Amino acid sequence: MAEAVVMPRQGQSVETCVITQWLKNKGEQVEEGDLLFSYETDKAAFDESAPVSGTLLEVLYGEGDEVSVLQTVAIIGEPGEDIAALLGDAVTGAAAGATAAGEPGGTATDAAAGATAAGEPGGTATDAVQEAAAAGEPGGTATDAVQEATAAEAGAAAAPGKQASRTRISPRARNMAEAMQVDIASVRGSGPNGRIIADDIRAAAASGSREITAAQASSDGRTTPAATGVPGTRQSPTQATPTEPYTDRLLSNIRKIIATNMKASLDNSAQLTHHASADARKILSLRKAIKEGTEQRLPGSTTLNDMVCHAIVQALVETPEMNAHFLGDTTRTFSGVHLGMAVDTPRGLMVPALKNADRYTLGGLGKSLRELAESCKEGRIDPDLLLPEAGSFTVSNLGAFGIEMFTPVLNLPQCGIIGINTITHRPADMGDGNIGFIPHIGISLTYDHRAIDGAPASRFLQKVCRNIADFTPNF
Amino acid sequence: MPKSQFIDPAQARAKGKITFGEIPVNAYDIPFENAMKHYSSEQLVRIYRDMQVIREFETMLNLIKTTGEYQGIAYNHPGPAHLSIGQEASAVGMAHALEVDDHIFGSHRSHGEILAKGLSAIHQLDDKSLMGIMERHFDGAALRIVEKTNKGDVKDLAIDFLLYGTLAEIFARETGFNKGLGGSMHAFFTPFGVYPNNAIVGGSGDIAVGAALYKKVNQKNGIVVANIGDASMGCGPVWEGISFAAMDQFRTLWEGAHQGGLPMIFNFMNNQYGMGGQTRGETMGYDLLARVGAGVNPEMMHSERIDGYDPLAVIDAFNRKKKVLADKKGPVLLDTLTYRFTGHSPSDASSYRTKEEVEAWQQVDSIRSFRTLLEKHKVSSAGKLDALDEKIRGLVKKAMELSINDEISPRMDITRQPELIGEMMFSNGSVDAMEDRAPDVLMPIEENPRVVALKNKERFALDKDGKPFSKVKTYQLRDGLFEAIIDRFYKDPTLVAYGEENRDWGGAFAVYRGLTESLPYHRLFNSPISEGAIVGTAIGYGMSGGRVIAEIMYCDFLGRSGDEVFNQLPKWQSMSGNIIRMPVVIRVSVGSKYGAQHSQDWTALTAHIPGLKVVFPATPYDAKGLMNAALQGTDPVIFFESQRIYDIGELFHKEGVPEGYYEIPIGEPDVKREGGDVTILSIGATLYTAVEAADILASDYDISAELIDARSLVPFNYAPVIESLKKTGRIVITGDASTRGSFMKEMAQTISELAFDEMDAPPVVVGSRNWIVPAHELEQHFFPQAAWIVDAIHEKILPLQGHTVTTDWSDEKILSRNRKGV
Repeated sequence: MAEAVVMPRQGQSVETCVITQWLKNKGEQVEEGDLLFSYETDKAAFDESAPVSGTLLEVLYGEGDEVSVLQTVAIIGEPGEDIAALLGDAVTGAAAGATAAGEPGGTATDAAAGATAAGEPGGTATDAVQEAAAAGEPGGTATDAVQEATAAEAGAAAAPGKQASRTRISPRARNMAEAMQVDIASVRGSGPNGRIIADDIRAAAASGSREITAAQASSDGRTTPAATGVPGTRQSPTQATPTEPYTDRLLSNIRKIIATNMKASLDNSAQLTHHASADARKILSLRKAIKEGTEQRLPGSTTLNDMVCHAIVQALVETPEMNAHFLGDTTRTFSGVHLGMAVDTPRGLMVPALKNADRYTLGGLGKSLRELAESCKEGRIDPDLLLPEAGSFTVSNLGAFGIEMFTPVLNLPQCGIIGINTITHRPADMGDGNIGFIPHIGISLTYDHRAIDGAPASRFLQKVCRNIADFTPNF
Repeated sequence: MPKSQFIDPAQARAKGKITFGEIPVNAYDIPFENAMKHYSSEQLVRIYRDMQVIREFETMLNLIKTTGEYQGIAYNHPGPAHLSIGQEASAVGMAHALEVDDHIFGSHRSHGEILAKGLSAIHQLDDKSLMGIMERHFDGAALRIVEKTNKGDVKDLAIDFLLYGTLAEIFARETGFNKGLGGSMHAFFTPFGVYPNNAIVGGSGDIAVGAALYKKVNQKNGIVVANIGDASMGCGPVWEGISFAAMDQFRTLWEGAHQGGLPMIFNFMNNQYGMGGQTRGETMGYDLLARVGAGVNPEMMHSERIDGYDPLAVIDAFNRKKKVLADKKGPVLLDTLTYRFTGHSPSDASSYRTKEEVEAWQQVDSIRSFRTLLEKHKVSSAGKLDALDEKIRGLVKKAMELSINDEISPRMDITRQPELIGEMMFSNGSVDAMEDRAPDVLMPIEENPRVVALKNKERFALDKDGKPFSKVKTYQLRDGLFEAIIDRFYKDPTLVAYGEENRDWGGAFAVYRGLTESLPYHRLFNSPISEGAIVGTAIGYGMSGGRVIAEIMYCDFLGRSGDEVFNQLPKWQSMSGNIIRMPVVIRVSVGSKYGAQHSQDWTALTAHIPGLKVVFPATPYDAKGLMNAALQGTDPVIFFESQRIYDIGELFHKEGVPEGYYEIPIGEPDVKREGGDVTILSIGATLYTAVEAADILASDYDISAELIDARSLVPFNYAPVIESLKKTGRIVITGDASTRGSFMKEMAQTISELAFDEMDAPPVVVGSRNWIVPAHELEQHFFPQAAWIVDAIHEKILPLQGHTVTTDWSDEKILSRNRKGV
């Protein structure tokens, strides 16, 4: 029995995904669990494995195609098996693509498919007939319905580009999004035809969302530099055609998002960084005790990073203004600490949020952070946790790379981010006029000066350092 | 249907025959030498002078149109000039017999009548009156211009004033008689008894009857003459006007001084052509137009054909007919035979008649013939008459020079004052009574039986517990209308009301029940089934200075009064340069239950026409307040009422409908229920459908709807709607009109423009289907239902959790319906 492979839905906000790579070819034998293809949303990348064993009978979309979630992308079964029924469903999507690409005067089936692809009510031709009948339209014969479906198809064909990627938004919602700094690209429209309406913006703002302005979109590298030198005009060296061999690689979706977000962060906030360091003796000795097995209350996997994060969470609980979003005309403070953590993955930087990090013991915190990092690396993270709005504060640790200080970039609309640095030894007065070298861990706090002033930010940083120096974990 | 008149079957079914008397044809045969004895030489020369003034005036226009100059002065007049060269004796003969208080109404071809009546009035008025008239007309604007160059006496000055005012009007100058807003086909000057000329053929045929009605009801001096063309006998409104004027009730039911026929002459200026169509022999079948009078009433309308080429024959006829009218035996029909030498208009090549025919009439040209008689019988001499001709040429030349001079006679400066015409569309007056005298009523208002009965009604529909009172106990919407109307009948003595079944029946929907007891016939009466004349006469009554409520029993019958509602009623205030006021309320009842020709909401048709105020109240409180405002005003108001809700009680105004007088300003919508999620703007009775929808939204979907009742369509203050939208961002506009081209669509468009940035969805119109209205049992598929409104919100504005639609609002459906035109 052949089985359809569908494009999974990754999170509530995801409507479509792009197939990045087919890992199996049509006609190839696959085993259940074999990776079939890679795909990505605008937030994250994923791999899909074969749900059953068999032959990859049909591959319906190519690499780079944007596919609606839950749409059939491939069929696995036995060679020679009749897959028409499965294909019929799938061809709906494929034909829709063809129709939308400009093939006027399709059949009724095509027309209905067009309607489906355009996200219009209607369904299949049969559906259309049924609907006309259900609506009690006098004289609503099947022919009528087919004619109307054809009209829908004509409309779809007339619309340039892909209907699915068009953002429908009401003027009111657009204005609200601007005022509330909500990124409409991340908002799912609940209005007619997927139109983003005021309620959606309100909801997005409530769950936290932020703006990416058109200005940044156009300055995120899409501007085309002069590729070839025009005779008689002066070219800067960088614009000149390089003579050396080089490789151009299209940005992945994730790279684009990172690029946009980073630039947006710098463009749209007043961020600056304070650097300090904390006496690390206590956390080092705790780490030692855990390793040696003398501290049984904590799992052996507990890291220095976990402890510093724990200290940061403790400080955030006492400093709500730092555990906050800046929303233009309002600040939003959170009762829980939703700790974002920068994770280096093969596909690029991801920042998943650990919800309610303040409720965890040190051990639990460490375990959960590791789980989050793993799911990012494996591409199975819930995309909703990757939204900047999901976190209330972020931590980025570059200590392992020997970095002594850096200026982490804010994950807007969050108001603060801490960079954890490497441990260095610093001279310190040991009493009695003796100078000794004490291990210190560097802490870099970037904060949004729009939301918080220098003194309170410094006080918060002091508090973090003190919490590290006098580390007292919740067990 | 008065009970006083018994219809006896024996008599009605008895054998008999109708006999007709004789209708005189050109009966006047008094030789000039005998006739001249009844006139002074001065009079006879004046007749000649007046004809010659018209001839020269129109020759000037003809030369301007055909050669671009007159007496060496170049001018281009792109506008119309329908000339009556050849018809002068008809106009002058009529005017000579009329007094200042006799009022004439004209056609598109009435320059001659304006000048003839004006010259006649100038002759009759004393200097003081003349100066007063000229001073008062636009603060003496035209007088200031003509007095600079006039060296003669007041009458000479007034003649200059008349020629100049008419010509400046024809040339669209702000100093013209009507500020240049009327022009050639509409010029008039009421102080000389010249009432509006009318560019619609036969347009004066019913309007003039209203003016005669005004004279009769308000006991004013004088008669009314409708100067209309022979071809207008083919127009429905003319027949309707004749029917109205000839109603038996003037003699049988009207009482006292008001008893008797209307002082009305239908004077058909029979130049024997309707444009190029020959009325006798081609387009009509009456043989002689005067024959038509025979069929109208037993008096055969005192019909006569008279020779309009002999001014003395015309004077003789008018003198005799005035006597008929003085004896209250009107109306009268005159078939005044004449002929125009010029074409219908300057573009007319006269391809429909021969040169020989024109020349034959020129051979008997009335002016030349009359001059021959004057000379022959030594009334005047060739030399004197030549000198008179020369003087007239000078007068006309002077009027032309003044009126084409852009500095002396500028046009309205719309560039500098862009709203100038806009400000003239309505008079926006507030007048208790159009005349100060005691009203004719039959009892004190307190004793009126319905007034008494209303004292015991519940003026708010619900009791303390929110339960509705019984229909019998409830003060209803029709009571609100009644209270406003009877109040005005006791305030304004000029107020009259009429329409079909208005008197004993109390109006088809009992709005007038009880009025009959208070009012004599001449203030409340049944009209013929002539919607054109019902509105047309109301226009004439209003422009003469009276206040009137005319009733169109079903909105569907508005089409029958199309020209009156679309072309006449809205336009005369502004076309007159604001000299005329139009305190006319047309009550239009919107039906239901009776199918395709008795259930339509045609509000959009009237709202489309500039110059009409349009209201559609839906509650007793609003109905009374708006009717008071309409009756206090001086503008034409189309007052829509819905037959669905004549019996509805007051559900919104918690204090109940006040017993005393109050006005609701026309143009102000009303928030009937506050809400925050979606605005529903309703027109007319659909308010109650909107209430139903709002209840469903609240109970089933936790959506709070703000209900706004438009109340008025024109004017309309959008500010409260925009305010509401700032809150809700969403709007449904609903009403019972067929959706396409409805006023709801107009509102949707305007709202989109004004509040686009507030909108969370496009404004959605929920109107009736673009079908015939089906039978009552199927009406729920035609008129907007609460479920449709909820569906529309779900489909177009805000998806409702768990809602299942019963109607199709998809884009495909809208496209398909539009493609099919349904």
